[in-house]
Amino acid sequence: MNSFFRLVYRDLKAGIWSTKSMIAMQLVTPLFYIFVAGFAYSAVISKMTIGGRTVSYVLYLAPGIIVMQIMFAAIIAGAMLWIDKRLAMFAQILMGPFSRWQYILSKVVSIMLQGMLNASLVFLIASPILVGLSVSPLGLAYIVGSLVLGSLFFGSLTLAISVFIKSNESFNAMLNILFTPLMFLSSVYYPLQNAPLAIRAVSLANPLTYAADMLRAGLLGVYVPYLFLEVIVLAVESSAVFVVATIAFRRVKT
Amino acid sequence: MAGYCVEATDLTKNYGKVVAVDHVSFKVRIGEIFGFLGPNGAGKTTTIKMLTTLLRPTGGSASVLGFDVVSEGGRVRPHIGVVQQEPSYETSLSVEANLDLYGFLWDVPRKERREKIELLLDKFGLRDVRKTDPPELSMGQRRRLQVAREFMHDCQLMFLDEPTTGLDPQARRITLDFVREKVESGTTVFFTTHIMEEAEYICDRIAIINNGKILALDTIDNIKREFGGVSVIHLRVADGKEGLNQKLEKLSGVERIVYPPQKDEPLKVYAKDADAVLSQIIDIITSSGLHVEELRIKEPSLDDVFIQMTSSKGEQSK
Repeated sequence: MNSFFRLVYRDLKAGIWSTKSMIAMQLVTPLFYIFVAGFAYSAVISKMTIGGRTVSYVLYLAPGIIVMQIMFAAIIAGAMLWIDKRLAMFAQILMGPFSRWQYILSKVVSIMLQGMLNASLVFLIASPILVGLSVSPLGLAYIVGSLVLGSLFFGSLTLAISVFIKSNESFNAMLNILFTPLMFLSSVYYPLQNAPLAIRAVSLANPLTYAADMLRAGLLGVYVPYLFLEVIVLAVESSAVFVVATIAFRRVKT
Repeated sequence: MAGYCVEATDLTKNYGKVVAVDHVSFKVRIGEIFGFLGPNGAGKTTTIKMLTTLLRPTGGSASVLGFDVVSEGGRVRPHIGVVQQEPSYETSLSVEANLDLYGFLWDVPRKERREKIELLLDKFGLRDVRKTDPPELSMGQRRRLQVAREFMHDCQLMFLDEPTTGLDPQARRITLDFVREKVESGTTVFFTTHIMEEAEYICDRIAIINNGKILALDTIDNIKREFGGVSVIHLRVADGKEGLNQKLEKLSGVERIVYPPQKDEPLKVYAKDADAVLSQIIDIITSSGLHVEELRIKEPSLDDVFIQMTSSKGEQSK
């Protein structure tokens, strides 16, 4: 088997799939978001209108929660590089039949696979509220595009962060400082058109906004006129962060 | 390559103004166990990191198995094995799964992996903990796992960076014997240690490195001989030895004095003409009325040679 795929398999076996408590947490959390918070807020916000289509709040929320799964998967994968560095597995692998390029690409692909898997599981969990929706081929393209580009962005971001971090504490602190605003300054929980200008401005730079909008559009079949622009912005942001991560990665000391 | 699997010429590594490895040159013969001996911080690990393509040398050149470590690193790595000094394993997988995954990473077929796992579990005394995760193992067991893991794949050249750190004497002996077995089946070994007994037990040739420079390179017997015929006088006296040290330091013909770290260990006086120095010591003892507990001349051990070569002129030596 190709060296690159062997590294991906290692990431999945030794990293992501082995942390069973983390996987359970990733599945339980969205369950609460959708079926507890979603339905509780639906009592307050009865209906929402997106691109001329009226949907329930829980249906608005579900795509955002699915997209957030790729962010959580990315956090785990970023932690894997950090753990590899701490336990000298990074050096061990680079002294084996692998290159740095294969290592970083394997991490990004592992994040994508894990993000997809997580998102699929949340799709399953959310399926009772998604009954009746029909997804067109274009909608499916938006859904897959959202997950792939979102994985690329968040995977690259956490990998870049883990290059510079020197302790567990600072890694966790950095993730909290970064990801909490990303979650709330986006269109995951609420539409942005009526949000205060400052929040709207920041949210427009937030890739989570675009990933959530793309997935929501694909799932609900609501294609707003600026959606394609959102795809381009997310693609550019993801590519830029990937380039930054690969450059940063060359600085990792062994 | 012509009989050598490692050839280093003026190999140098600087970290800013600090010179970690300073123009070292050496060759490792195919099929030998080459010991790289030095105190902590001597430059052993940095040299290994350069030879295993992990670090780019600041100067000089090195080839491993005929390939340049800088320009042909990708052709070196598939043929080498490395046991790092730092602990390294998958924390979330059991001993057995660690071995299996590592074999998988090296593309070892499943059937061969199964056979090797069974062999290594027995050889390294890990059978009882095969289903245990590394965080629950003792330090020695974790080290054994790390060493065993590297034997999951076959390689032409194995780098062992202080592989016996943390092992008890029995496990140390088992590990060294297993390394010797692998050498007999064709592997070359580059072995670093600061435990001289290990080097004497296993190495065919050694290089002694200190402060980034190679101080000696030969067989152990030749290095001892080259030590210049210096013998060591062991001296241990009972209480009342005030002033003895000053008197000893004034003796003619003394190369070096090493004072013992423990009270019940002998003081060591290094001298080329040991007989002449011994008679002077007897004169001092007689005139001082000291009670001698130990006084004898010993041929230098590798330990003595190592200490003599690598100790800085500090508090503990003349």
